[in-house]
Amino acid sequence: MYARIYGEATQDGGPGALEYAKPLRWLPTTPQGSLIIGIHQKGSWMNTYRKMAAVALAAGVGLSAAACGSSSTKTTPGTGGSFSPVLDPATKVTISIDCAPAANKPVESKQWADDVAAFNKIYPNVTINAKPMTKCEDPAPFTAMLQGHTETDVFYTYFTDKQQVLDSGAAADITKYVTPQTVPALKDIQPAVLALNADGGKLYGLPRTNYTMGMIIDRALFKRAGLDPNKPPTTWADVATDAAAISKLGNGISGYADYSAANTGGWHFTAELYGLGGRMVDSTGKKAAFNTDLGKQVLQNLYDMRWKTGGIGAAQMIKWGDLQAAMAAGKLGMYISAPDDITYMTQTLKGNASDYGIGPMPGTQGALTGGDDYYFKKTDTPDQIKAGIAWLNFKLLTPGKGQFQYDRNKTGGLPVGIPEPEFFAAGSPSLTADNSNKLASATLPVANYEQFVSNPVTPVVEPPNAQAIYKVLDGAMSAVLTNKNADVAQLLAKAETDVNTVLANS
Amino acid sequence: MAAQTRTLISQTQLSRPRGKVLYWTIFGLVVAVFTLVFIGPLYWMVTGGFKTTQEVIQNPPTLFPQHPQIDAYTAAWRQLNMARLLFNTIYYAGGALVLQLVFCVAAAYALSKLRPVLGNVILGLMLMTLMVPAAVLIIPQYVTVVDLPIVHVNLLNTPWAIWLPSVANAFNIFLLKRFFDSIPEELMHAAAIDGASPLRTLWSIVLPMSRPILGVVSIFAVVAVWKDFLWPLLVLQDPSKQTLNVGVNGLAVGIQQNVLIAGLTLASVPAIIFFLIFQRGIMSGLTAGSLKG
Amino acid sequence: MTDIIEVGPIVAAVPHQRPRRTRTGGLRRNVRAHGFLIGAVACFALFSWYPMIREFIMAFQRTKRGQTTWVGWTNLQHITADPAFWQAWRNTIMYTLLALLLGFAVPFFVAVLLNEFRHGQAYLRILVYLPVMLPQVASTLLFRYFYDPGYGLFNQILHFLSLPGSSWLASKDTALISVVLASTWMNMGGATLIYLAALQGIPGELYEAAELDGAGVFRRIWHVTIPQTRLILSVLLLLQIVATMQMFTEAFLLTGGSGPEGSTLTVVYLIYNYAFNFNNFGSAAALGVVMLVVLAGFSGVYLWLERRTKEA
Repeated sequence: MYARIYGEATQDGGPGALEYAKPLRWLPTTPQGSLIIGIHQKGSWMNTYRKMAAVALAAGVGLSAAACGSSSTKTTPGTGGSFSPVLDPATKVTISIDCAPAANKPVESKQWADDVAAFNKIYPNVTINAKPMTKCEDPAPFTAMLQGHTETDVFYTYFTDKQQVLDSGAAADITKYVTPQTVPALKDIQPAVLALNADGGKLYGLPRTNYTMGMIIDRALFKRAGLDPNKPPTTWADVATDAAAISKLGNGISGYADYSAANTGGWHFTAELYGLGGRMVDSTGKKAAFNTDLGKQVLQNLYDMRWKTGGIGAAQMIKWGDLQAAMAAGKLGMYISAPDDITYMTQTLKGNASDYGIGPMPGTQGALTGGDDYYFKKTDTPDQIKAGIAWLNFKLLTPGKGQFQYDRNKTGGLPVGIPEPEFFAAGSPSLTADNSNKLASATLPVANYEQFVSNPVTPVVEPPNAQAIYKVLDGAMSAVLTNKNADVAQLLAKAETDVNTVLANS
Repeated sequence: MAAQTRTLISQTQLSRPRGKVLYWTIFGLVVAVFTLVFIGPLYWMVTGGFKTTQEVIQNPPTLFPQHPQIDAYTAAWRQLNMARLLFNTIYYAGGALVLQLVFCVAAAYALSKLRPVLGNVILGLMLMTLMVPAAVLIIPQYVTVVDLPIVHVNLLNTPWAIWLPSVANAFNIFLLKRFFDSIPEELMHAAAIDGASPLRTLWSIVLPMSRPILGVVSIFAVVAVWKDFLWPLLVLQDPSKQTLNVGVNGLAVGIQQNVLIAGLTLASVPAIIFFLIFQRGIMSGLTAGSLKG
Repeated sequence: MTDIIEVGPIVAAVPHQRPRRTRTGGLRRNVRAHGFLIGAVACFALFSWYPMIREFIMAFQRTKRGQTTWVGWTNLQHITADPAFWQAWRNTIMYTLLALLLGFAVPFFVAVLLNEFRHGQAYLRILVYLPVMLPQVASTLLFRYFYDPGYGLFNQILHFLSLPGSSWLASKDTALISVVLASTWMNMGGATLIYLAALQGIPGELYEAAELDGAGVFRRIWHVTIPQTRLILSVLLLLQIVATMQMFTEAFLLTGGSGPEGSTLTVVYLIYNYAFNFNNFGSAAALGVVMLVVLAGFSGVYLWLERRTKEA
């Protein structure tokens, strides 16, 4: 059911997928089996990916063997200078970590506390100082934190923050600490996802969750408009037709809606362009590549829905949070989004779970992917890094444990069944285990996500300097959605110039 | 009521029949419009919280909630931790007020009456800060708060991160100094001849005469902390230490419209009650003590 | 009311009298005076002056990979090359003009009006000041709800009056004025009360004399009210211009900062964007310095003109 994975998708995917993620080669280097990540210099992404996957697999197998060997024979604590990535149980360590659930999420808070207790049974020497947060990342506090070097020992970031974190010199290199010994599911994590946490041959973080975008629909409105809720539109022509039909229901209902504020407009422009097979920047990462027919299509689609076919309503300057609230209130037919919005709408906004379905990204040529992760503070001691990795492994990366303990989520009343996170590779034991666990405890109508799951779309990562580019395209997005006289070609040309300026100055 | 001082339009003019009619028409109109403009939105806010998610975004809207329910209020109350946020905000505002009254008054007194060398330069440097956008300085300020120069103390998530920067309030110092300037120098001389120290002069002569301006400065000090948003968002990230503004902003991301509005009401009610209780003091303070033309 | 009258004369009695001071005990006096200053000066030094110096330094630096390097004028070149730069300045000036029209003139005339009322003044003053007391985030978000083109209160009222609705925040033509309207509602109370206080300090005889000269209501406003409140008006005008040019929270919460086609993008939001979204502190600091220079230059010219008109 959930066998929708980057790996498979990427192999038959077009060129350019994941082109900004620096591909990795996984090579065993030391007898203990730590890994070194190298940058692949040239060659198409596809070849690299295949090679990488093969190497990673081989390395993983080899490493497991090495790890077994070392744990039984070689690793004797105290023997002069030999490095072990595993935390010495005799060392007392204290680590602080942010983005712990706050009091407004009582179930998750209790789960966190239970997990810490269980973790402390295995590692009684580790003290975890959790910093609860209602919102894990807000640009201003996050930036201030990096500038003031006030991040916790293990700190939360988005995939797209990598450059910022590295530029501020905040992150510790954890390459040699992440081994099949410390993170047993390592070989099952897609190299592409790990690559998003690596830079210049070094690994800096471990993933927490990740997503690819699709089209979320309100099935109830689809039915009321006489449409088939099991067939979310997969082309923009269909989106326009369906949206118009839903808007006709009246009463303030909008068939489709899109962001245009707070840099989320540019984010969705990117997602929609990827869907049509376009790219935001060229292979050098220094020049805009969206002023093409595909780019024009994206804007024209939205313009037509807003001003001609009536699929988009008058409310604009929408940013993250607005569409979710509108759909949960039954006022929105569909919008593009990550699957976890369904969790958000059912859990936080008390929407009706059976109303929400998700289909693949319209255009189906590519789907924007993103996610979040934990990095390690530059000043962490080796023991803190080891303890942090042990905790992340326990909480986030072990099927059946921590975030993957679905039976517990179910008894706690949390929604189970969203196709997310999706960082385990296709056919890997971790994914198989995770899928069956999830299915066994599903509380959400997983059949509604069938179209999304069984029609995987090539994931494409966000462009470099994403926020700066998004900011520029907010302008074009807001123009077509708020200005009847908007000129698509002119808007794109201007955005292209502006983005080129921004990239040249970055 | 005390005798009305003469204003733009004379009492005799108003007493004429035509003047009376005009006066009451305009008065009635203004009262009605002002009530509508300033109470209307608040009415809409309070009742919005009693509406269902559907009703609050209904088109056309309802003047009264059809089926008043308090679910939105309880949900907002749960998510907002109002009592805590309110306590924090008052605590920060109170501390800022005390510190400003002590340090800003002392500084204004020194600049106005003691006039040390470089006093005008210092005043100029202080007034200059009014020209600097707060958002511009926020990063270097943040870095300062994280690691206070010389003493190397981290003020993050402590009230001092709000209190100390609030003392650097050039506008209040300016207001105080202007007021102190208008206190006759003869009084100061008389005190000096009696052998009173500057501190004693400040305490027993200047301050008693300055009650109105102290009222104004107090209001400005409290309102500034009460209204600030970006700075507390940065320096008080611990949810249990946040201010009302930051808490409400955290609540506002993707939430049902009726719960959001209920939350806005909850956040506003304490301020409104506080204001209505102390409005006499606030009003007379603001009107009486302000700069005179 | 009574306390106003009591206080009034003291304030008005000896305005800005230059003290004649004896030059004795200079050192001791100075030490003592600086002792009174030290608390405030320390806070200014730590939280205003030192950050300003850092700001100037940052404007010429760039940080990459934890390495901070000196880049000279590069940051300044980059910000002026950014197409958003001029747009932000245009919007900021436009916003300031609109805010002055509404945020300066409206409170003044409201104050003049209120000052004439023999009844209900207290009630009206409370009304006008009430929004100032609301948490800013709360009132801003309330306006966002009112501005919704579909179910928002404003369009519903227009609809009720059979007038065409507006897009408010969702159109580049109306977004900026919508922000100004919201901001005026939220902030006019403070200015109104200060004007009221100034008006109450005008000696009644002046109106008496003007009336005897046959001056009508508007001429009395022009020849008595305005000149008599000129000092306070000019101080407030300057402060208000400086404050409105720094407008941030309103647009940030109402339109997400930029607004339709960048129509509510202000210089301060651009600074915020450089710093917090693009992680480019060098450019943020450079733009901050530009803003500082503009505001300081403006204030200087303003004060100079003030002095000249006063002397003339």
